[in-house]
Amino acid sequence: MYMTIKEPSEKIANQAVKVWRISNTIGHGIAIIVLGILLYCSEHYQWYGWIQVTLYIIFGIIVLSAIYSIFIEPVFLQKTWRYEIDEDFVQMKNGKWNESHTLVPMEKVEFVRTEQGPIMRKFELFNLIIGTTTTQHTIPAIPAEKAKRLKAEIAQLAKVKESDLTEREEE
Amino acid sequence: MSQEVKRFHPAWIAVELFALMKNSIAIFLFLFVLKINSTSDWIVWGRYLFLIGIAWTLIVIVLKWFLYRYEVVGDSFVLKEGVFVKEQRTVSFDKIQNHHSKTTFIHKWFGLTSLTLETGTTVEGSAVNFPVLTVSEKERILSKLLDKDLSEGDVDQEKKEYGGVKKVHSRSSKKDLLKASFTSLSFLAIFPLLTTIYFNLVDFFNIEDTAEGAFDYLLLHWWMLIILFVLAMVISVGIGYLQTTIKYGNYEISDDSERIYIKKGVGSTSSFAISKEKVQAIVVEQSLVKRLLGLASIKLISVGEMKTEEQETSSLYPFMSKHEAYLLLETLLPQYPIQEKMERFPIKVLWYKLLVPYYFTIIAAVGLFIFKKEWLWAAGVVFAISLVTRVLDYFFTSYLRQGNTVQIRKGGLTNETFITHYNRIQQVSVEHSWLQRRFGIATLYFQNRANPLHISELNGVSKDEAEEFYNWFRGKRERLVRRERVS
Repeated sequence: MYMTIKEPSEKIANQAVKVWRISNTIGHGIAIIVLGILLYCSEHYQWYGWIQVTLYIIFGIIVLSAIYSIFIEPVFLQKTWRYEIDEDFVQMKNGKWNESHTLVPMEKVEFVRTEQGPIMRKFELFNLIIGTTTTQHTIPAIPAEKAKRLKAEIAQLAKVKESDLTEREEE
Repeated sequence: MSQEVKRFHPAWIAVELFALMKNSIAIFLFLFVLKINSTSDWIVWGRYLFLIGIAWTLIVIVLKWFLYRYEVVGDSFVLKEGVFVKEQRTVSFDKIQNHHSKTTFIHKWFGLTSLTLETGTTVEGSAVNFPVLTVSEKERILSKLLDKDLSEGDVDQEKKEYGGVKKVHSRSSKKDLLKASFTSLSFLAIFPLLTTIYFNLVDFFNIEDTAEGAFDYLLLHWWMLIILFVLAMVISVGIGYLQTTIKYGNYEISDDSERIYIKKGVGSTSSFAISKEKVQAIVVEQSLVKRLLGLASIKLISVGEMKTEEQETSSLYPFMSKHEAYLLLETLLPQYPIQEKMERFPIKVLWYKLLVPYYFTIIAAVGLFIFKKEWLWAAGVVFAISLVTRVLDYFFTSYLRQGNTVQIRKGGLTNETFITHYNRIQQVSVEHSWLQRRFGIATLYFQNRANPLHISELNGVSKDEAEEFYNWFRGKRERLVRRERVS
């Protein structure tokens, strides 16, 4: 282990891999269809040469990105995503090459929300979205029951008001 | 604590009229002076439209004044606005982050002032704005705010009276202003000014020939040239001094137990007040000139939305000597101790920074290779620039964590030191890439509430410090919350 930061305990659902595979396939499929139409047009209407070159380069990039994000990335994402929610903090960890740990104090949490797309609905998964005054974080693919419980729990815990923590110094 | 519903002072109409005049004068001149003889359709129509527009705006201004109302209900302001679409806003006192007031020349004429109360949201128009107020009305509103703040904290009656005692810490002196006018380089303003005057004159008079003649004469009598130059310098320094005086004259920084007050300006004055608790962070800024003269400007970061002008006011006197500024800060905000000495990252971080892939260079090279081969050398320039920025980035970044605060320093020509309290940090992230792991370092991010959001990024912190920072923040917050829960 690189750092002795305590690993968050919870994992995200196993089906997340499938969800990401499906949604990334659809996304890249659409991109390739659009590109195909553009390529056909450039061939048919004889657009400038550099447009075609650029289109082929973009095509290549999309194919590479499709291979990565359909076959490789989902597995890593699912394996490396960890989170933990206790009464003081929301802690998140993810990434393999770029590992990132994030710590959000519970009383800085302003809202919490669950979200679900059509593919996720099929697998009964939810994204949990936690917002602070400055940013928002998404914990992906949590089983329905658990997501609802966590949402209620955070809503309860986050009621610790900032103004209750007055500026008393420790040292 | 409810009281009657109030309207703005009628002078509001005058101020709005003045603004209307200022905004429409150009169109007026165009339609009625420049094109007075024109009978083309669109000019004639334009005139009618203009008059209708003016009339309409006049009606709206009066209606607005009539319909805008505000009152203080309990612990919040209730504002009723809108001519056609009615709108009612409630702003609670404890959401207000800071307030500033500005008295322009027009305000002064009528013995009035303006007041803006900033709230923390980023939505536009979240601030409560009173463009025209009598001075006594302003005092009344502020005293409501103050009362509430004081009674909220467990301050007893005795202290409440004492809390109102303001202590003045710093006033700008003549010497300061002189220094300020030099550091702001405002005396250089004379040169563009002179050129503009010259070129404007050229248009009207046949100045070229005379000027050439005069120039030849001056070349022969070089001592006159020097005198003229010195004269120009004296005048420009004078103008610069005047400018600085108008802007920064009568600068006064004071505080009481709750708040910091900053006042400035000759003629049109502005003042700013922020509660000490609501200071999110402090930024010490030193431009190159300021560094040479040993000056520094200190900014108080707050959540409220601030325009440039207010930001200027929210900074402590920008031309204070560094030492003095630090001392002042120590008395005003003892929870933010600044350290002058800071250490750079170890040298291996420089190697790491140089090794990070040069994406931009690669993209530039590939792009040029495909589209413009003969320009390929430009990629080399891009590469050189990124090399230099990386080296400078290494030399100008430093970091320090002590007690309850974190301090980071960045920047080349203008160097900026940012200090914040753990309590004001919204979230912490530690990130490390594959390459960083080879070097045993990490990137540290922390966010502060400000407008716009302030993210501090520190690339190259040793992995031990990153880890310690993370756990430090965690421990501090944990203990803080625990203690509050127990009591």
